[in-house]
Amino acid sequence: MSFLTIDSVKDRTFDAIVVGSGISGGWAAKELTGKGLRTLVLERGRDVKHITDYPTTMMQPWEFAHLGQLSKEYIDANPVASRCYANREDATHFFVKDAEHPYVQEKPFDWIRGYHVGGKSLMWARGTQRWSDYDFDGPARDGFAVDWPIRYADIAPWYSYVEKFAGISGNKDGLSTLPDGEFLPPHEQSCVEKHFTDQMAKRYNGTRPVIIGRCAHLTKPQPIHYQQGRTQCQNRSLCQRGCPYGGYFSSNSSTLPWAAKTGKMTLRPDSVVHSIIYDEKLGKASGVRVVDAHTKEMTEYYAKIIFLNAACLNTNLVLLNSKSSRFPNGLGNDNGLLGKYVAFHNFRTTISAEHEGFQDTTTEGIRPNGSYIPRFRNVAKQETDFLRGYAAGFGSSRATSVDTSAMGEDLKTSLMQPKYGNWRVSSHMMGETIPKESNYVALDSALTDAWGVPQLKISVGYDDNDEKMIADFHEQMTEMLTVSGFTNIKTHDKPDKAPGLDIHEMGGVRMGRDPKTSMLNKWNQLHTCKNVFVTDGACMTSTSTQNPSLTFMAITARAADHAVKEMKKGLL
Amino acid sequence: MQRRSVLKNLAMTIGGLVSLPAWASGWTPDSLGSISTLSVDNETLLADIVDTFIPETTTPGAKSLNVHKFAMRMINDCYGEAAQTTLLQGLALADTTAQQTYNKPFSAGDATQRMDVLTKVSASADPTGKAFVDMVKKLTIQGYMNSEYYLVNVEKFNMAPGFYHGCVPVPKLAVNGSK
Repeated sequence: MSFLTIDSVKDRTFDAIVVGSGISGGWAAKELTGKGLRTLVLERGRDVKHITDYPTTMMQPWEFAHLGQLSKEYIDANPVASRCYANREDATHFFVKDAEHPYVQEKPFDWIRGYHVGGKSLMWARGTQRWSDYDFDGPARDGFAVDWPIRYADIAPWYSYVEKFAGISGNKDGLSTLPDGEFLPPHEQSCVEKHFTDQMAKRYNGTRPVIIGRCAHLTKPQPIHYQQGRTQCQNRSLCQRGCPYGGYFSSNSSTLPWAAKTGKMTLRPDSVVHSIIYDEKLGKASGVRVVDAHTKEMTEYYAKIIFLNAACLNTNLVLLNSKSSRFPNGLGNDNGLLGKYVAFHNFRTTISAEHEGFQDTTTEGIRPNGSYIPRFRNVAKQETDFLRGYAAGFGSSRATSVDTSAMGEDLKTSLMQPKYGNWRVSSHMMGETIPKESNYVALDSALTDAWGVPQLKISVGYDDNDEKMIADFHEQMTEMLTVSGFTNIKTHDKPDKAPGLDIHEMGGVRMGRDPKTSMLNKWNQLHTCKNVFVTDGACMTSTSTQNPSLTFMAITARAADHAVKEMKKGLL
Repeated sequence: MQRRSVLKNLAMTIGGLVSLPAWASGWTPDSLGSISTLSVDNETLLADIVDTFIPETTTPGAKSLNVHKFAMRMINDCYGEAAQTTLLQGLALADTTAQQTYNKPFSAGDATQRMDVLTKVSASADPTGKAFVDMVKKLTIQGYMNSEYYLVNVEKFNMAPGFYHGCVPVPKLAVNGSK
């Protein structure tokens, strides 16, 4: 640092810094550059350029040596990463290797990470359901965590804003639990999914709707999507490889190229953010310390505002590691709440069944989506012995099988003639978990990673509320499937499946009304360091049951709008 | 070449934002590379075994589709040491059983004799026999049904453009038992 000139400091000074290039970081980059701010986007991993850096995306199934399976060597070396459903032979290059990015599991937690430009927006599952007031009201009504400082009305216009740009397909279902959005045409439900929808409507008087999921796929691209360089989703369902058509939303295909077009974005991959610099005299943050991923050299970058979008747990890590004499326990952490009240979605169990009817029907083609059962438990009032509830994915297919008992020409003949079996359905629970002080992350006092950053210690587990919810899911879904004529109903709880594999970790830097009991205000500013904005999963006060990414996008766009307005007033 | 034209069309549709990457023209169907974890004799024997399960007729059999190479690779890379041992012991058992029954090596037998040998290996007192036959048969079926030949000609697989129809009639033939 001793050879720095004033010019060099100037070169390293921007209007805004965005830490992270995943779903929320990409949105921060797009919004801030779009409003004219010279913005530095820092990504700890390598660059991944849209299309060019998707090496497997056009490979045919038979071009893979192991039919998509991971090798034993890879699984043995990466027990955590290999447990992720999306980490297949065609996508291992998008998942961090366990040994390169160690962390401490005080309790078992499978931390799934994508360290590259675009982050997990490349490998996400693309479900995009809005929250409703039943979700934002949760903590206040049921007496856990703290009250959300915002309500649906605050975020609704921002949902619309991001949906139009990202491209969200869905059906206008008119549900109070799952508000409608700006939808491209919906995917189709299968015959058996429609049957289940109809049966639920009849037997539960409309209180348990089953709908087609809303998802970030361009089922009918609009001019705004063509302008991004994206086109029609091709229904390949190979999304984890990266999509050459931009058929689903990712930072790489959408927000980052858009931000780049403004000429205001500087994207710096291989930049591990060590900490945020707090300026004691100014009483606010002045920049960030970055460790070069390859040279390990530390450099400082400066800006008037900082958006922290490192993904939930890494955002916690950066703040915890941002120590100063003013904030000895981490930036903004006067109340000691930083890193606490982490929660997730309980994905531990699934249920499967068959239907013996509809024998003369099947599906044709591939659908990168499924049906969706919005939360129906404890919605209007408390009705069970556990708090909150669960949403569920619901999918179906007509099973085919071949008779493999023979050998020789008889076997070959039977392989050419697959037989149709029954329709099969399966449903996975997405349970709201209650944020608790005892579910936390912290810096390990001794261990560091290869960049000199303390390792994150994760202590997050299930509780009794989660166990009761699993039992209720089994009971209710069994009843719902039974009355709809399904048979061979089986539950598949996996008690050993650790939290983390949901990849919906949230909290630790929660929003709230009171600086004594929360970290962020209603605009996602740290209460005690107002030019630092946290708009990824870390900001979430509670988790509800919906796939959270759409809410991160909307919250980010809203916060960026506020940030620029405040800057223009000279308040930041 | 089909996908190259798809990509070219895409690039034309959406203008300057898309660059054609090097790999769009750089691959060949053989780019998997080759692997042999077995001796030449054993590889030939395994090829004859997979071809006994799914023989060449008017359409390709498992051997000409290189399903034995797929099986070797899966056992070597994904299955672990116990399965590798089962493979070696099973191959030896197939040849000794052929010698005992027909007084000739497995590969010298006709289709009926080979099937008989595999049935005997599967029923052998040595539990390795059944484990071997089950494993290789499963991999043969899996490899065959995921081969380019099967996916393109039987499944009519087409990566893109795709579609989804949620409720279509099953052909009458299929209702009676086959697709």
